[in-house]
Amino acid sequence: MARLIRTEKEVEGRFEEVWIVVEEDPLEQWPEGPREIVGKPATRKSGPERVRGEARYTADIRLAGMLQAAILRSPFAHARVKKIDLTPALALPGVRAALGPGDAHGLEEEVGYSGAAVAAVAADTFRQAQAAIDAIAIEWDELEIVLDPDEAVRREQYTADPRHYERGDVDKALARADVVVEGTYRTQSVLHNSMETHQAICEWTGDVLNVYISTQFIWGVRDAVAETLELPPDKVRVVCEFMGGGFGSKNGPDEYTFVAAELAKRTGRPVRCALTRREEHTAAGNRNATIQKIRAAAKSDGTIVAFDAEFTNAVGWSGWNAGTEGPMKMLYDVENVRTQTYGAKINTPPMKAFRAPGFVEGTFGLECIVDELAAKLDLDPLELRRRNYAVTNEGTPISSKELEECYRRAEPHWGRRHEVHSRSDAVWKRGVGMASQIWYGGGGPPSYAWVRIGSDGRATVITAMQDIGTGTRTAMAQIAAEELRLPLDMVDVALGDSSRGPYASISAGSSTLPSMGPAVRAAAADAREQIEDIAEQRGLPRDAPVHEVVDLLEDAQILGKGARGPNPTGMSVLTFGVHVVEVAVDVETGEVVVERVAAIHDVGRIINPLGASSQVEGGVIQGIGHTLSEDRLLDPETGRVLTSTLESYRMPTIADVPEIVCEFVDKPDTHLTNLGSKGLGEPPIVPVSAAIANAIRDATGAEIRELPISREEMLRALGAAKEKGRRGAPATV
Amino acid sequence: MELLRPSSVEELDGGVFIHGGTEVVPLMQDGLLSATTLVDVRGVVPRGVNGSTIGAGTTLGELEVETGIPDALREACRLAASPQLRNMGSLGGNLLQATRCWYWRLGYNCRLHGGDRCHARDGEHREHAIFANDFCASAHPSDVAAALIALGARLRTNQRELAVEELYRLPDEGDRNTTTLGDGELILEIELPEVEASAYLKAMDRKRWSFPQVGVAVAKVGGETRIALAGVAPIPWRIARVEDLDSATPLPRTEWKLPLARALTRRALAQLG
Repeated sequence: MARLIRTEKEVEGRFEEVWIVVEEDPLEQWPEGPREIVGKPATRKSGPERVRGEARYTADIRLAGMLQAAILRSPFAHARVKKIDLTPALALPGVRAALGPGDAHGLEEEVGYSGAAVAAVAADTFRQAQAAIDAIAIEWDELEIVLDPDEAVRREQYTADPRHYERGDVDKALARADVVVEGTYRTQSVLHNSMETHQAICEWTGDVLNVYISTQFIWGVRDAVAETLELPPDKVRVVCEFMGGGFGSKNGPDEYTFVAAELAKRTGRPVRCALTRREEHTAAGNRNATIQKIRAAAKSDGTIVAFDAEFTNAVGWSGWNAGTEGPMKMLYDVENVRTQTYGAKINTPPMKAFRAPGFVEGTFGLECIVDELAAKLDLDPLELRRRNYAVTNEGTPISSKELEECYRRAEPHWGRRHEVHSRSDAVWKRGVGMASQIWYGGGGPPSYAWVRIGSDGRATVITAMQDIGTGTRTAMAQIAAEELRLPLDMVDVALGDSSRGPYASISAGSSTLPSMGPAVRAAAADAREQIEDIAEQRGLPRDAPVHEVVDLLEDAQILGKGARGPNPTGMSVLTFGVHVVEVAVDVETGEVVVERVAAIHDVGRIINPLGASSQVEGGVIQGIGHTLSEDRLLDPETGRVLTSTLESYRMPTIADVPEIVCEFVDKPDTHLTNLGSKGLGEPPIVPVSAAIANAIRDATGAEIRELPISREEMLRALGAAKEKGRRGAPATV
Repeated sequence: MELLRPSSVEELDGGVFIHGGTEVVPLMQDGLLSATTLVDVRGVVPRGVNGSTIGAGTTLGELEVETGIPDALREACRLAASPQLRNMGSLGGNLLQATRCWYWRLGYNCRLHGGDRCHARDGEHREHAIFANDFCASAHPSDVAAALIALGARLRTNQRELAVEELYRLPDEGDRNTTTLGDGELILEIELPEVEASAYLKAMDRKRWSFPQVGVAVAKVGGETRIALAGVAPIPWRIARVEDLDSATPLPRTEWKLPLARALTRRALAQLG
């Protein structure tokens, strides 16, 4: 029976209280360990389609009569449109319609960052649309810009209220501690750079708006578009069959969707609005930069007694104040913690969620300073982490936590450091570092799925979710096949269209699998039960092979339905892990080479070990880019993005990818759903930067304070370490 | 726009030359280069290695696996760009690359574009020059140019013969060009001297597909040791010895390039033996 409950919902570390109708989830979890299909490696169901170019991404869609849109963006970081004249644009060949500020949601008269959308044009070709954009006559009033987040904080210019957190008595603990370390850590702004840029095609058929969009949340787009355009939600159909990445930047519709919808309305034709790579680098979101002033204190026995920190998120013109302080509050059992978190409103492109927003940045500062504590205490960093193990989440029970097991499995990797050190020479210094991971990833209701079985014995999982490239189709098919006792290749997955399936979860916050998987299993179980009933009526054993039972169905079909049950009440659902990284540093040229990453994660039951390890590899590689080479740079005078191309914004190449060893504890969370599975999208990027920085310290003694660890930062840190060594060295005769 | 495909030097008559297109096409797309006539010179410029003579149309991809050329040149080709770009980009075209300075590439009205200030000097300049950066702080991106200069190579164009070094000039108030190439001038061949030993070392901010943060080419030619650097000045930069790096004039955020240049130069010289 469905129940209406009031519950706390978490997405990307943000919580809200919501009323939710949840259905019971009476299925018992499968026993621990690999099953027939679940828990065994499966290659991607859509792999062949993708490599053959048959998979239809939003970027591939060309509708009959479709127009192309281009957007006029502000060159100024803060300005107001004084005068705008669209007529020169409308006079150009191929141009069908033009929009100015206020004509579509997201086209603004006052812009707060360079790259903000102001006007738009639809034309027969993209080139014509671009030419028309250039022809728009516009006059600006330039306004004062603030680019420095510290200055914004001084002016109390925030995107959200500052957040204060306190437990215990930090001042007293600091005063009584045996060891206190402090440091200021900085992380840079980085770009998501999904392979498929942000884009939408809008087409009106009667009073229905069809939105083809590259998105992480079909239903979120539907609701936001309906609300903004004042349409009944069911008059908005959202389609996303295949998707070229989002990493948190595609959780909702943006200006390009509303521009396409309005231009489609005005022209009576489908309109495509796709951002270019350069627009992607300026106006499609980013991981915001942070400044982290941290103090940590411990007793000589290794008990960490206090954390005291001030975090500034350089949010941009809009965006939320991500939980950079989260790891500091949650990762260790520390009695006294005080954090202050500012979300600085500055004239830079707005942040968007980016793979564990806040926690990636916060873990860098926290896990670096924990290693500094270990060095000061002359304690093994792994031992220090164990001594301060948190059993609860600030007093709330954790539904399952296998971090201790992750640490145990890290031992052999950690034990390699003596051998790694021995491979150092005068120029190349080698070292090993570690960092722990904590993040959410429990997912939640509501989410629904249907399973349909016909007389051919094939099953189709139907749900209006999206596969953002994480192997969702495969995992869902595995769950259904396991429950139905069908071979994996007898199960299809139909998803990606809000008009062809029930409501499904957002694919963000590592929630796809933990939200959708249990609904799919419940639907499959419902179908299986019906098949068993029929088997019984035919005098077959209840567990007779499915094809023998459904053989007689002819046009009749078995329809199973399932829903995601509630999360455990009064418990925190969290994911954990530890990375052990080996690096080599050329101490003369500052070159840093990551040689090996061992990534050990606890995310409950693993559905597809192959898919899971590819998630970890992707997260580690993205983390290496964040740590070593990626840096979105702005002109300090105008606030314009300087690294607007993939040549100047440097993501790692395959040559930069080290050996990556993935391990999973693979123990179901017995409190969580009928699967016991948590999400894995975000966890693997969380500890990467701190583990690399700690490995660098181990190799060279240099204290990294800033991301990216460019040669400039590496050479600075090496110089500072040398200087410290000189000052600290005993006088010699 | 018109595209011409001449088959001999004699047929050349104006227009913008294009070979592999890895430089010209992006510049045109960005509005930094405009042309009414494009001249595909692939039928004009020699391609391939013939003893000490290298056709300027030889691609970097061909040269990176060529055993008969000095190590510095082969390494400079191998470490440049990406395989895709090296398969298209020609040796001659590589020498004529424009700077990667983001202000220049984004069309700021900087000195190289004829304006009256260098935006990088006051702005974001961590990839910029440590020498001759007063007028324009851009850094020259060509690995190959530094290698050829260290090797003491010469160029033959359709108009003259010159040392590769003489192809470059520092921009100034009166002339913003960074090359001495004349109107309608086309590089045809590169002539290498007898080289005893050579090396090219390059610092990048990832393992592949990166312009030089600092590139150091060294060569022993006729008993003389020659050193040329990429990524440190608006043009390829020659120094006589490591100590000459002491006279660099780095900007606040390019100071880090100095220890890097020193280390790479010492290493490269050590490799010469």
